[in-house]
Amino acid sequence: MDEALAMQAAAPVRLLFEAQGLIKSYGPNRILMDVDFTLAPGESVALIGENGAGKSTFAKIITGVIRPDEGKLAFDGRDVVFNAPRDALAAGLAFIPQELAYVPNLTVAENIVLGQWPGRSGLTTPSAIRARAGAVCQHYGIHFDLDSPMRLLKLAERQLVEIVKALLRDARMIVLDEPTAALNEQESTALFSILKRLNGQGVGVLYISHRMDEVYRFSDRVDVLRNGRRVASVPPQRTTPSQLIAHMLGQEKEEFARGDQPRSGVAALALRGWKSGGLPALEDVSLDVQAGEIVGLYGVRGSGADVIAEGLAGLNGDVVGEIEIGGKVRRTFGSPYEARAAGIAYVPAERKRDGLVLGLPIRRNITLMMLRSLSRFGVMDGAAERALTDDLVRRFDVRYRGADQPVERLSGGNQQKVLLASRIATKPRYLVLHEPTRGVDVGARVEIHRLLAGVADDGCATLMVTSDVEEAVTVPDRLIVIRDGRIAGELAGAAMTQANAISLATES
Amino acid sequence: MSDTTMARPTDRFRIDAQFFGLAAFYLALVVIFSLATPNFMSWSNGVNVLSNVTVLGIVALGQTLAIVSGGFDLSVSGTLPLGAVAYVLLANAAVPIPAAIVLVLALGMVVGVVNGILVNRIGISPLIATLGTLSVTGGLALTLSRGVTIPMTNFDAGFLSEFAFGRVSWYVLVLVVLCILVHVLMRYTILGRMIYAVGGNADASRLAGIRVEAVSVTVYTVCAMLAAFAGVVVSSQLLVGSANVGANVALNSVAAVILGGASLLGGVGTIGGTLVGVLILGTIANGMALMMVPSFYQQMANGAILLLAVGLGRLREKRAGR
Repeated sequence: MDEALAMQAAAPVRLLFEAQGLIKSYGPNRILMDVDFTLAPGESVALIGENGAGKSTFAKIITGVIRPDEGKLAFDGRDVVFNAPRDALAAGLAFIPQELAYVPNLTVAENIVLGQWPGRSGLTTPSAIRARAGAVCQHYGIHFDLDSPMRLLKLAERQLVEIVKALLRDARMIVLDEPTAALNEQESTALFSILKRLNGQGVGVLYISHRMDEVYRFSDRVDVLRNGRRVASVPPQRTTPSQLIAHMLGQEKEEFARGDQPRSGVAALALRGWKSGGLPALEDVSLDVQAGEIVGLYGVRGSGADVIAEGLAGLNGDVVGEIEIGGKVRRTFGSPYEARAAGIAYVPAERKRDGLVLGLPIRRNITLMMLRSLSRFGVMDGAAERALTDDLVRRFDVRYRGADQPVERLSGGNQQKVLLASRIATKPRYLVLHEPTRGVDVGARVEIHRLLAGVADDGCATLMVTSDVEEAVTVPDRLIVIRDGRIAGELAGAAMTQANAISLATES
Repeated sequence: MSDTTMARPTDRFRIDAQFFGLAAFYLALVVIFSLATPNFMSWSNGVNVLSNVTVLGIVALGQTLAIVSGGFDLSVSGTLPLGAVAYVLLANAAVPIPAAIVLVLALGMVVGVVNGILVNRIGISPLIATLGTLSVTGGLALTLSRGVTIPMTNFDAGFLSEFAFGRVSWYVLVLVVLCILVHVLMRYTILGRMIYAVGGNADASRLAGIRVEAVSVTVYTVCAMLAAFAGVVVSSQLLVGSANVGANVALNSVAAVILGGASLLGGVGTIGGTLVGVLILGTIANGMALMMVPSFYQQMANGAILLLAVGLGRLREKRAGR
């Protein structure tokens, strides 16, 4: 009785969830530094922040995916320790990740009751499963075809199934990691209206967002993380987008200067009227890159920047439109082979999945695209190969023990240098980079940026597709910002600031 | 230049450690058998072992290509008897021997191209695709031979079994030459580089402009041609054409390749390793036969070796994945 009174005095609003002083480090890197967070029943909070601000780590800690080094969690007024997502779910806290986990060949109803089958002594029936799933859907006013196999559903519907699945397990707080990144406008609105309805029934919602517009439309409060600290926590009505962006950025870090280069004024590589189906759908995107120029293409996740990069690599067959390359106009590439044959060197975003053959040595990775010119009658010229790789390894300052060392043993930054070297080895006239410094340490990052400037100085037309705003405004000569599959604007010179780029990319 | 030469020893050591481990195991086998039976350690028995592993060795060369490229070929157990039966039928029909060999190779080529298309164009997993063609080619061999063993009436067709020098048959020399050729192919040619790259990471290879499907079809084709040629060798050895030869060669060749250090995930493996793997299997069979161990114990030993081979490969992958 006394305890209850004391608690009421301390917290006039009963809190659903509270986190205090969360700290998390990986080695010398501090990801979260003393982060506090609260959520009231029925409250909807948006969490925003730049790449690497600690948003995902925070979401994973409060949902039991990873454990904090220090800090306390309380759910419904009781202290809790989550050792696994299962513990969090048992307490009433569900996490909806970006990569949903479901059984594609089971029906919606079967997925909803997965592991919670109604019935007795290990026996259950399809009709009982259907009834149980239907009851939850009914209660929360969410409707779908319960008998449809999960794999036939659209992503937005699958997300809703995951939410219903959480509700069936009596979740009273739902954490969503960028739920709208791959949804279109109507789907996002539908999702948020359902989340609002859940708020009305007392369910608390925390979602990570990249989009300023939805923060303003759907959240009761917005929290900003920057470099592992919570730097703002305000109702969106009491602030402006530019103030939020300023909170996200703090001050700019990387110093990188590239002198003005003389330009031909003639486009070496140009996209004309690119369109695509799917999500995000490109709508009439055109842009051009001159020889010796670095053009940045910046957009948040789901903006269409990825689609353009993949289109230029020949990886996305849905893109239609024209490409002007070296003075010739042609249709979009049908395969990576066509893109390569047209002279485009593409550096993929996922270096381990798409870029490197991890088990092979540095040397063999570097010459992967050079086999023909390094051979005679199909037989490799070992001396020429060594000369080329030794030169590139030195130029790119790859830190290694031997050029015969498998690349899987290198650090992320050095792997990325090997990947770049393999593309630069071909002396490309057109270079398309997709997230060129993702998962790369700061030192290697600056080196890679310098190298790219050097390559462009040699006359290469370079398009750098990135979702890293700092990189987007420091390396390119001019920056094109894309939002919802359309070019939202172009920035150059003094206007090329992080605040301008984010505001173009996130506000509509 | 200096840093690479400086760095060399560490890597060479890593690769050699694996190879030497295998070679040491083989030497241990040789020592055990030498002590257990007086006839084992002799020139003639050495030649005997080589003769006995020739067919498996030729098939295992092709299997190495298939496995390193990230694939798998079970159909060699059907292609081999098909090649054997076709060769004897052609030779008996007075087709000149060189032409008969070329036709058998063409037959193997057809099987390989079909395998390659099934796996790459249609997208059937290598296991299922080659299981299917194994059944089809094996059945075809039975049909062509009407289920009986066909005696070779044209004895010129057995020329590979004649002695090249001493008591060493031509087919042993053929095995040695093929080993060298495939080793050079894997190590020093563009195609070899592509095979390792495709097996190691098909997505990255495709993005690097390598025609992954073409490489894979080529590999299946070479593999099936080698298997068909192994059929020619079998017929030369037995002087008959039979659809009942080579039933074990698919699994034994996979066992030899994996034992030789290749990974079923692809991208790893050498001809040198495969050769030692083949010798280990052949030596165990030979040694146990000399020790008068009944053949069903040999069968169990083969099973144990297969498990040992795959188990070692798996452990190696686990350690590599850590």
